[in-house]
Parts: sequence; C-alpha cells; structure tokens
Amino acid sequence: MFRLLCAVALLAMPASAQRSAPVKKPPAMPDMPGMRGMRDSSIGGTRDTSTRRKRATSSVDGGSPMVMTDADMAEMAMPVPMPKGMPMIPGLVGLTPAVTSFLPGAGVDPRSLPLAKASRLARLRNGDTLDLTAMLVRRIIKGHSYVMYAFNGQSPGPLIRVPQNASITVRFHNRIDLPSAVHWHGVRLDNRYDGVPGLTQAEVASGKDFLYTVHFPDAGIYWYHPHVREDIQQAMGLFGNMRVDAAEPGYYSPVNREQTLMLDDILINGDTLIPFGKERADYALMGRVGNVLLINGEPRYSLRAQKGDVVRFFLTNVASSRTFNLSFGGAPIKVIASDVSRFEREERVSSVVIAPAERYIVEVRFDRPGRFAIVNAVQSINHYLGEFTPEVDTLGSVAVAAEPAAHDFGRQFAALRTNDAVSRDIAPYRKYFDKAPDKTLTLTVATNTLPLATVQFMNVDTAYFAPVEWVDGMPDMNWLSTARQVRWILRDDATGQENMNIDWHVAQRSVVKIRIFNDPKSFHPMQHPIHLHGQRMLVIARDGVATKNLVWKDTALIPVGSTVDLMVDASNPGVWMLHCHIAEHLEAGMMMAIHVDSVGAGAAR
Amino acid sequence: MTGASWVGRTLLLASLVCGTDGPFDIELFNTPASPTAQGRARLVFAESPFGVAVTADGRASYDVRIDASGLPDPATLGAFSSYVAWAVTTDLTQWHRLGRVANGTSVVGHAELNKFLLVITAESSPEPRDHSGPTILHGTSPSGWLQSFLSHPLFRGLPP
Repeated sequence: MFRLLCAVALLAMPASAQRSAPVKKPPAMPDMPGMRGMRDSSIGGTRDTSTRRKRATSSVDGGSPMVMTDADMAEMAMPVPMPKGMPMIPGLVGLTPAVTSFLPGAGVDPRSLPLAKASRLARLRNGDTLDLTAMLVRRIIKGHSYVMYAFNGQSPGPLIRVPQNASITVRFHNRIDLPSAVHWHGVRLDNRYDGVPGLTQAEVASGKDFLYTVHFPDAGIYWYHPHVREDIQQAMGLFGNMRVDAAEPGYYSPVNREQTLMLDDILINGDTLIPFGKERADYALMGRVGNVLLINGEPRYSLRAQKGDVVRFFLTNVASSRTFNLSFGGAPIKVIASDVSRFEREERVSSVVIAPAERYIVEVRFDRPGRFAIVNAVQSINHYLGEFTPEVDTLGSVAVAAEPAAHDFGRQFAALRTNDAVSRDIAPYRKYFDKAPDKTLTLTVATNTLPLATVQFMNVDTAYFAPVEWVDGMPDMNWLSTARQVRWILRDDATGQENMNIDWHVAQRSVVKIRIFNDPKSFHPMQHPIHLHGQRMLVIARDGVATKNLVWKDTALIPVGSTVDLMVDASNPGVWMLHCHIAEHLEAGMMMAIHVDSVGAGAAR
Repeated sequence: MTGASWVGRTLLLASLVCGTDGPFDIELFNTPASPTAQGRARLVFAESPFGVAVTADGRASYDVRIDASGLPDPATLGAFSSYVAWAVTTDLTQWHRLGRVANGTSVVGHAELNKFLLVITAESSPEPRDHSGPTILHGTSPSGWLQSFLSHPLFRGLPP
C-alpha cells in the first residue's frame, strides 16, 4: 500500500518537474597537485546529450528500424531503481547528477556491431604474442540488446593461459570511443607495462595501439582491465582472466572439472542501461552497484556435472563495487588459493566472500544429483526502516546428473592440504610481523555541495554503519553524487598528505608494514578493497588479531571501523599505485603511488 | 605472563590501535542486581580466510570479547556460580549462549545475529541450557542502533 501511494505521488508530479528540475551545479574543484594527468579523465569525442528530451526505446532486436543506441538517447532524467520498500527522499526527486550522460557507441548503428561471443581460451607459450583489441560490441542481457565493450569481441575477454615464468607480448589496440590502457592486475611485471596512464604510460587514444610485455612470475588466477575510467570501461565489459599454470607438478589437487568465473553486476532500469557521467563518475558515494548479477557476462550461468564431481572454480570479482557472498546450493566448499598464492592450509567454508578485484580458487563437490543454485546471499540494510533484509540472487546453477563421476576424487576433496611451500616462502617475512608499522593510512571521505537532502539524511543516519555494505541501500543519493562532490581519501597519518600528494619511497627488497584504518566516523564510511600494484602482500592482522592462515594477496578488503596490517614484499622496482578498487572511489581520488626504489639507484626513504 | 594477561594486553593494545567507537563496540550497562558491574564488549570478525566472516546467508559472524570489572562473587547474588553471556534476539525470544564471563577479558563464542542484545546473567552453571538468573550487564549490538525514518521530516509528504 505504501509503495502504491509513493508511486501515485511520483506519477502525480509533472513530467517536466522530473526531467528539468534545476541541477545543483557545484563549484569547480581545483586540481590537486600530483594528480594532473591522472584525474583528468573526462571523456572526449562524445556528444553532450544533456539538453535532449526525447526518449525512445533502446531495443535493437526484432527487426526494428530503430538505429539509435542507448548512448544516443542517454540522459539522466530517469528514475534509479530503488530497493523494495525504500522510497526516494522527496527532496531528491527530480534532481539529476551534475554530469553529462554517457554510454558507449554514440552515433554508431548497433546493427553494424558484432554480437559479443563467449570468452575463448588463448593458450600462449613463452615468447608468444597476442593481439588484444578493445572494441564496441552488442551484448544481449535478459533478452535486451545493449552496446557495450569487449576485448576481441569476447565477453569476458580471452582467457589467457600461460605457464609460470612465461613472458608474452600483447599488442593492444584501442578501438573504443574512449582513451584506454590495460592493467595486468596482480601480476608482478615490469613497471613500464603496468598500464596506468599518467604514471607508467600515456593513455592509448582511440584508434591507437600499445605494446605490452607481460611476465608471469606467480601461479594462479589474475585479470586484466583498463585503468582509465574503470567506472565505465570495466563496467561495460572490458575485463578478462589470465591463468598462470604452476611449474610445480601437483600444485592443485586432482578434480573432475575446472571453471573460470568472473562475477559481475550491471545497472539496468527496465531495458535501458543507466548512463555514466561523461566528465566524471557518478555513484561516487558507494560506487555503481548493479541490479542484474552476472557470471561471465551472463545472468544465468549453467554447468553440467556428474554425481560426485569435484569442480575447481577460479573466481574473480570484476564488479565496480559489489562484494559477493557466494555459495553453491549447500555443496561443500574448500578454499585453496587467493590472489597471488595458495593458502598455507586449505579450509572448508560455507560461502565465499569476495570483494572487487579479489580472486579466490575454491573446490566444490557435488555429491548428489540435482540442481545446485549458485547464489549471492547477503543481508541488506533498509536505511528507511532501519532493518536488515535477507537478499538472495541466483547467478546460475550446476545440474548434477545421477551418473557417477568418471573419476572419484572424493578422498582428495575430503583432505585439507597443507602447503608447506607457501609457509616456507613466507617464513623469512615472519620476523617483521611484530615490528611497528612503517607507514599508516587512514581511509576517509570529504564531500561538498551534495544535495541538501542527502546531507541531511546522512547526518541523521549515523547511528550505525555496517562494516560491509553488500547492496546499495540508498541508490538515489548515490546516483546523484559525483566525483566532484565526493573525494575519497587515503591519508598518510605521518604527514597529513592525501592521495597522490603522498610521497612514499621504499627500497627494493624491503619489507614494509602498512597499517590501514578505515575511519567509521567520516561522513559516509564504507568498506574499501585496497589494491597494490606490482607487489605481493600478506594481511598479517585484522583489528589486532593475527592471521593464522596466510596467503599472498594484491587486494585486501578493509571493513568500516577495521584496522588491517599489510606486510608488503617490496621486491619489484618502479612506481606503483595503491588504491581502492571500487571504481568510483578510484575516480573520486582514492589512490596514491608508492615508489619502490632500485637498490643502488637512489637512497630509500 | 599468564595466558589470560597476555590476551588482556593484546586486547588492550587492539582497542588502542583500533579505537573504540565503531561498528564493533558495545557499551554494557549494569542493573540494580549488580550496580558495581561495568563492562564493554568488542565484536571481532571470526577467523575466516576472507577476513570478513559471514554465514552462508550473509549474517556477520563475530567473536565477542568482553571486558568486565566489578562483578561480585556470583554466590552473593543467590544460588549462582557463574556469569554467562548470551546473544539475544531483540524480541527476546531466542537466547544463544556465548560463554562464561569473569572479571577481566573473556573471549566468548560467535554471535551471528543481525541485531542482538548482549546480556550477561548469573547462572548456577557455566554452561546452562537456558538463562534463569538475574541480568547483570546488558548492551545492544551496534547494528541495533539502526533507526526507522518512517516519520522523519526528511520523508515528509510520504505516507507513514
């Protein structure tokens, strides 16, 4: 009844009021020193659609003569999907983000674009070369066609599979309508090829190319994605996995099948993509949390298995902001590895918590016939009612036949392996665990000129902030916030410097203890998946409690109110980013650089 | 150094490191049954390979660490021998025993409720099936402070 009355109230509002209500234009925020060239990520070559009023269907299916794309029609005057039972704050109705809307492929006839294909395996050997082209494609999601991006026309991009210690050459061709670059996430490669415009290379303009050399020293699962306007390019499909096969035989236990799953979400209203901010990111408070969950670009992943099959899943979270809590219909799960190594000890878990950019390798045994739903199950917070609400989204399923598995690996699955090689690798670093932190960071946020109703609500809704926000409970406020109004901050406690003004130098081969505190008393505290480029690190303690089962990581989730100690193996010289991997937080400034100085090439500070 | 004092020092250090006012801290209030009792509790994510421990349906899984002082000998309150901590649903219908509490630092079991009351009672056994003795200390999980904005002026114009 309540939602019905809300709907009536919104419908009773004049359409003109919803579309053309004045946008609160914030004053320009000055560029911050050290960020020039990095933060200037506005988009060129696209049409300003802010004055458009006509709307039409975006569908290109069914033989319609319509040739306009979502990008042609993109405007910001659409309502954002609100969670069930959560009304928009009346003071926000009719406002739109202070950005020009953007979607891929403006002016392009979608019929001229290829339909995206599923990811294909690109098995490469040492010395091989791969052509990787970022391009426009059509993708069908839930029966609707959208113009999006893909690498080599594949969604996700090609699964690059290489042996450990291989080096490959990647000829990157940028054929999308934005400048781009490729970051090889988690790979400890030569700094020149890390793919960070403004730091390690220039942006690759549309129509231009770049040559990468990628060396893979560590076994495991990695991924590649742009490091330019990730909030758009990654969200629109530019990502793919790299699987590095261990040189060591028997690195993993034997299994019946292996699957590589990229977990994602996308924000769709009806049959229309919700546009992005052209000049800067919108959804800057919480990041863009999609309302359609995807595995490998599809809303309904499916796998066939046989009774007793053990399946090894290589999981990567490529969503802009969402942290998943994934399970497999009650089937037993064993977690064996994460970002850059195996765990010291395999563990049984009931679900897999995976933050943006993290990877986990898990084994699942399907020991009875039937259908096992792959679900994301979380407790969302309704900030209007002040209540938790269980939310379960099904991303796919595993259909298990009654026929028994060809090989029974039940005994191997039942065993929890101890990986002595991992412990031996970590052992030399343990003597540093108890030292005082070399560096400390506080995570916080600053805002300006947000809509008054947003500020008022945030100011009164301060009694509790969840350590992890699993869903976007306030999408109206989130949508309206832009990277000009919100500045996410990494603050160096020693100097007070923030983000790209922080000047950290460490010596190559040093072991650096970084303590990060996520301040719960900021205007809008939120969890942050902190990613360090080009190095590996251990999460050695959380809130003063030592980690008992270590694993090498490149991304660590820092919940609100938590203090996390990272031990960085600064082995790889160069200048490397440390940033939040929520795409919109990165766009809103939450990044810094760490200089790992070559020994002999300059004094370490 | 005894194990207990080591844990206490570790927790003191942890509280200094981590601050005390976040989504993990619970202030405990005493009752007329034991006006000298004082305490605080801190929720710490249970051990998990993911750092953030949650149940399969997404509820946070916390170890509860209680710092208490001023607890009298339970026998002075009646036929009791122990203090026991419980995680209790806000409608008081479900009581989940966490573990024994004493003066100093006690690390008790997992709390896996979205919102809960933390209640410490005097009991005749350290592992009672049900609570039966008087409440000595009580507090509310930080999530319990979530409030409804149904009638807040910000939403004026919307039906309650």
